[in-house]
Amino acid sequence: MPDASRAAAWDGPRRGFRIREPAVGYLFVAPAVGLLVAVLVYPALTTLRLSFSVPGGLGARHYIQLLSDPLFWQVVRQTAVFVVASVGAHLLLGLGAALAVAGPIPARGLFRVVALLPWVVPDVVAGIVWKWILNPLYGVLNDLLLAAGLIAQPLEWLTRPGLAPLSVILANVWRGFPFVMVILLAGLQAIPQDLYEAASLDGAGPWARFRFVTLPGLRKVLVVALALDTIWEVRRFGLVQAMTGGGPGTLTEVLSTQVFKQYFHFYRFEYASAMAVAMTVLLLAVSLPYVRMIMQEE
Amino acid sequence: MTRTGGRVVAASFVAALVVVLAPAIRAGEAVTLRFSNWHLVETVWGRSLREAIRIFESRNPGIRIVPEPISYAEKEARYQAECAARRMPDVVKLHNFSLAMFFELGCAADLTPFVQKESPDFLKSWYEFPIKSLTYRGRLMAMPGDYMSMVLIYNRELFRAAGLDPNRPPRTWEEFREYGRRLTRDTDGDGRVDQWGFSMPASKNPGLPLRVLPIVWSFGADFLTPDGRRSAMNTPEFREAFRFIVELATVDRVVPPGVTTFGPQDVRIQMAHRRIAMKIGSGWTYPIVNAINPQLNAMEVLEAAPMPAGRRRVTAAWLSGWIMSPHTAHPEAAWRFIKFLTSKETEKKFFEDNRVISSRKDVNVLPMVKMDKFSRVIVQELQHARLEPQIKEWPEIFDAFTTALQEAMTGAKPWERALLDGHTRVEGILARR
Repeated sequence: MPDASRAAAWDGPRRGFRIREPAVGYLFVAPAVGLLVAVLVYPALTTLRLSFSVPGGLGARHYIQLLSDPLFWQVVRQTAVFVVASVGAHLLLGLGAALAVAGPIPARGLFRVVALLPWVVPDVVAGIVWKWILNPLYGVLNDLLLAAGLIAQPLEWLTRPGLAPLSVILANVWRGFPFVMVILLAGLQAIPQDLYEAASLDGAGPWARFRFVTLPGLRKVLVVALALDTIWEVRRFGLVQAMTGGGPGTLTEVLSTQVFKQYFHFYRFEYASAMAVAMTVLLLAVSLPYVRMIMQEE
Repeated sequence: MTRTGGRVVAASFVAALVVVLAPAIRAGEAVTLRFSNWHLVETVWGRSLREAIRIFESRNPGIRIVPEPISYAEKEARYQAECAARRMPDVVKLHNFSLAMFFELGCAADLTPFVQKESPDFLKSWYEFPIKSLTYRGRLMAMPGDYMSMVLIYNRELFRAAGLDPNRPPRTWEEFREYGRRLTRDTDGDGRVDQWGFSMPASKNPGLPLRVLPIVWSFGADFLTPDGRRSAMNTPEFREAFRFIVELATVDRVVPPGVTTFGPQDVRIQMAHRRIAMKIGSGWTYPIVNAINPQLNAMEVLEAAPMPAGRRRVTAAWLSGWIMSPHTAHPEAAWRFIKFLTSKETEKKFFEDNRVISSRKDVNVLPMVKMDKFSRVIVQELQHARLEPQIKEWPEIFDAFTTALQEAMTGAKPWERALLDGHTRVEGILARR
């Protein structure tokens, strides 16, 4: 049907009910809004209500308990260490890998795919694989280190108090750096080549070009990567749960594993909900700079 | 009417017809029951259950069973979420420690009306203790499944190689410790220990209580005071038991490194590959170990013995129960399936396939059970067996204990400090009741 006649059919007199044009827009977005309400808003409100539920009504008892629970604060500290270390290493490794695969190297496509592999491995699978790699009896890492003469006895990577958190962070660094790499690679490709050429003509060496062209050019992308990666890492669950279950003791517990335990293992639905709400508040605080930057852009 | 318009009208007519006739069409279909069980993911048990399902379906052509495998560790979490959404599978299996919680949450149908429709002697085929344990506020909420005592499993060949008499397993905990030391060896002469006396799943997993409780109880200790209101983890007996378990790893070093990351399957793998000589297990151990490494010849090489005794001769009981979803659309069919799963014939099959002991008396008196060298010990030890505390807070209390145990075993804290922290945490948990 030609456009003109279609428009006429739309604007002309109709029999039956009529839909005004703005309402059509709302109708189109209604399914998406409905879905968001069902899978995001409703569970969030239910969790919030549950967190304030006390026998006989509503109250802040679970939040008061939470604030006075030493285990909660220990887990908050551990989560902070886990997130700062993971995100810091992701940025460094991600930037290094992005710079490496952005340049004119042989088999660049292959390198990019290989570098992405850890990112496509599901969280829990990565945890199980690392648990086996670090197994003190059968693990390949101890075998390699023993064969190289670097250690005399197998190391207990996941059970020694000093090693367990480090091992979990290392596994998480391996798993998460490709995400940052992909974002930074996109940022690197958006930096105009003219700037590098101009800098070279001005006598800038590789370090000066990196410092005065690459880094400023990546600033916004770095903030995005930092914010998104931080949000991801605060929520990290499968890898930690599969590798250590939060042990030994509670040394590798993070907020997400604690919320899961409190809810599904200890059946403390209200307390776990309070913990989840606290975690959400923390995440919102972390994502504020990102949101502010996006709003400034707009 | 245009051609397109005619098609639209015809399609609408067909759609309306489908909507109107769908209930009638469905009524003629077979009833479908969703059946979830962690054993479905296991080689031996999974095969056995699928065979049982096929037998049931061939005898009940109107009922179709859809198996839904689930991991042992996550079953409670998933069933709870499904129950809240009124989507729990029609029939599921749970073990005693979480049954109380499911009863309390209203996630189990009351089976009493179904039992009342059976013959008056219907329940007399079962031991009284399992029936009593699965009765909540006077109503039978689950049908008993397997019912076993935890026993000491050991490898005869490794005993012999260490100069120990394979016909004389350790009878006391001191003997057990001594046996453990002698069985911990460097077998290939490379200067590194490659065989350990004992192993246990000391990660945070639901299999640990069954292995720890016999030790704690036999030292005369308990987790809670008799009235269940306070922690008893500060008693001299408890301290002694705790220290004993910790020192197996830290002083005697008779358990493999990394013990706090082991789950039950890790320990079975170690036993299947002759890395350990003793473990705590029950009827299911032999078929699983045999499936992991048939070359071990588990049925011949492994042996079962009563748990070593301390101040008391006691062990832990394993009890599972079959529950029906309170939201099932087909309660009669679900009951028929539960009745089949708990029938003498099916329980006999489960014993033959998996070596699990039934909670039915009429199965355990069969010669095949009484003559079996493992089952004989397991049935005999049932008289000394106790169940884990069936209270809502038990998983959290045991988590506090496991945290303390791991902290002490890995040297994160001295054992006294770890235990005291655990005790304080349990006091806090109980104070909330």
